[in-house]
Amino acid sequence: MATETLPDHKALRYARRERALAAMEAHDLDLLVLGRVANIRYVSGVPVLWNAGTRPFGPGAVLVRATGEVHLMSTWDEGVPEEIPHDHLYGITWNPMNYVAVLERIGADVRPHRVGTDATSPLFAQLLPMAFPGAAIVDGGPALRDAKRVKTNEEVDAIRGALAVAEAGLAAAVAELRPGVSERELAGVFMDAMATRGVTTPATQDVVRITTVDADRGARGDGRVHAGDLVAFDAGVVADGYAGEVGRTWPVEPPRAGASVRELYDRWERLWDRLLDACRPGAAGSGLLEAYEAAGEPLPRGPIGRGLGLGFDDPVIVGDLPDTAAKERLDPGVVVVLTGSVTDDRGTVVAHEAVLITPDGPEVLSGSPFWNRERGGATT
Amino acid sequence: MTAAPTDVSSLLGIPERPDPARMQRERWARLRAAMADKGIDALVLLSNSNVTYATGASWPLGDAGRGNVERPVAVVLADDDMPHLFTPFVADVATRLDLDADHLHGPTYLDVDEGVAAFAAALADLLPATATMAIDDVTGAMHGARETFFGEWPPRSASDVMGPARLIKSPDELAYLRHGLWITEQAMADVQARLAPGARQTDLTATFLHRAFELGAEANVLDPIWQVMPDRQADLPWTTHGDLACPLLSTERELERGDVLWVDTGISFSGFHSDFGRTWVVGDEPTDRQKAQHQGWRDINDAVVSVLRAGVSAADLTAAARHASGVDRPWMSHFYLGHGLGLDSAEAPYVGTDLGDGYDLRLVLEAGTVVVIEPVVWDEGHSGYRSENVFVVTDDGCVNLTDYPYDPYGD
Repeated sequence: MATETLPDHKALRYARRERALAAMEAHDLDLLVLGRVANIRYVSGVPVLWNAGTRPFGPGAVLVRATGEVHLMSTWDEGVPEEIPHDHLYGITWNPMNYVAVLERIGADVRPHRVGTDATSPLFAQLLPMAFPGAAIVDGGPALRDAKRVKTNEEVDAIRGALAVAEAGLAAAVAELRPGVSERELAGVFMDAMATRGVTTPATQDVVRITTVDADRGARGDGRVHAGDLVAFDAGVVADGYAGEVGRTWPVEPPRAGASVRELYDRWERLWDRLLDACRPGAAGSGLLEAYEAAGEPLPRGPIGRGLGLGFDDPVIVGDLPDTAAKERLDPGVVVVLTGSVTDDRGTVVAHEAVLITPDGPEVLSGSPFWNRERGGATT
Repeated sequence: MTAAPTDVSSLLGIPERPDPARMQRERWARLRAAMADKGIDALVLLSNSNVTYATGASWPLGDAGRGNVERPVAVVLADDDMPHLFTPFVADVATRLDLDADHLHGPTYLDVDEGVAAFAAALADLLPATATMAIDDVTGAMHGARETFFGEWPPRSASDVMGPARLIKSPDELAYLRHGLWITEQAMADVQARLAPGARQTDLTATFLHRAFELGAEANVLDPIWQVMPDRQADLPWTTHGDLACPLLSTERELERGDVLWVDTGISFSGFHSDFGRTWVVGDEPTDRQKAQHQGWRDINDAVVSVLRAGVSAADLTAAARHASGVDRPWMSHFYLGHGLGLDSAEAPYVGTDLGDGYDLRLVLEAGTVVVIEPVVWDEGHSGYRSENVFVVTDDGCVNLTDYPYDPYGD
């Protein structure tokens, strides 16, 4: 982050827009009407105010295939690059018919046959056909996925930048791990360290979790750490629009008598070797699901692979979506956060690692220490 | 929950401890009544705040990209006494929510074709194909599958039910809302105590987030705004409408003595969002002229408060603000004079938007509505003043939930 709000670097903007336009061509889309913040930034290069959680659909940006022009919902020009002139900006409005008027004007020049959107709503499902009479309004998601899936070198650099901040925040929080500290206090340390490094937007806010299974915990309910607990950290930030995420599980020393967790960590390492092995360039995403099976570890509930890009991105690899995973290809340039998770009746050891698929194989982008690799040998 | 101030509780009947089960029972009754009124058999809810309203589930919201993929979904059936919740956080919510086990489901992935197909199959088990369904948001994959997923296109909107239901806050809801405000104000007091020349905007965020999380914030919901307001509008970015450019993003810019800072942020607590707005002066006392700006703002605020009660229209509030200021729109014209607050940072009712006076005339406020009043005084050549207060509308007036001083402008 800098001392003024600037558009994304020119190389980043133009490379992304070119990919989006090529995908529009391949999917026969004349216009893309975008509501999701990551997609708006992908085509415009303009930083926008960060909010947590989902947002209702609205036409935040329009990309015109014929001309490559971007029209952007922004009431001011801060952070707007030179290629988006003032007359391509339209302000926020509470009257949806004003958006119809803006889209009609864009459509009048383009006369689109097919308009793609990244989402819609009951309201805009009515309004978009009014703005583009005669045009087919279709799901633009497949085109956007084609454009965004493989990262440019500049995008990978941006992800590395975000990861560096996430790792610094993780280190700061782990340094405060001791009996008596609470989950929320550690989350506060993470947020503080992140913002002190100039990045004020977390990608995940479920930062710290005690994973130890403890019959008393429900009764205590105060989220405070006890000696011997396993504590999972999930550190994610959004820096310059790009997401970085890293996670580790640390046991709180001193260990509980007769309850070594070393074996859980050993199981995690064996699982991790198989996950990384499944990241060969061009391999199917389902290889990650098979890695769990081969390691004899049950799949966790949520995704075990999440793409990184402008925020979280495709692919999503999760046990509930086996066909999707089978179709997904880990091509060079895909960046994915892998989740390794092993659990038994003592608790869970979980870690998240960002991996770049290269033509030569996977490159692990994060370098945060692991308890078992750094200190585990000496303490158990 | 730790102790929050109790002085206004008795005025509003806010319980010392909110009862989440009671809160949800009241919400379900309200939803079912509204669904019956609109002839809707099933609500399918995707937006985070609607899911929280319908189920009581709340979770630390993540970045929008992740929120889209891993979002809980609620299904409310008119003939069932509790909603269904599809969530990645089953283990978390199972212990906290009064939902029967057969109403708790694993996650759905509605951004993915395969996930939409699986969800459609799950829905088919819950409601007949002839049921009238309303929905709040439509993902790209659902849009792609519209011919099989939706019985009618465009689909019916859930907002006809959710909007009116969410408008009036129960005493339990106000208790949660107020605690979120308390956390925000405590953390802001820490930031203001450390405000000094040389601090970066991002340092203020670091202090705020650290303290807010320690105090029990569930999540940060808005990148905190610490906008340095110049003396002249010409020193702000160009705008489409000729009004002030605000809010602008925070950077690592260092604050200087005498900077006028417009502060605006919010966190979430049990799903309820907070809102905070004040003007500060960095490392200095306000000048007499700045104090006069603040007085002008107080006059507008007081004029609005003096008419704010159940039964008045939004136009009555804008007229009061206009009259007190002598300015046509003494608020940011791309926003509003006032907005609701609850499970979203800004939600209905909206007062003084570009929907115009006709809309405001028809918008009548009811008791139990929460309205954040945020007028602006701009004194071209000498910067300006902006603050926000959170009010609950009552039958005979309103109660201010904001409990934060106007320092350094004095009280």
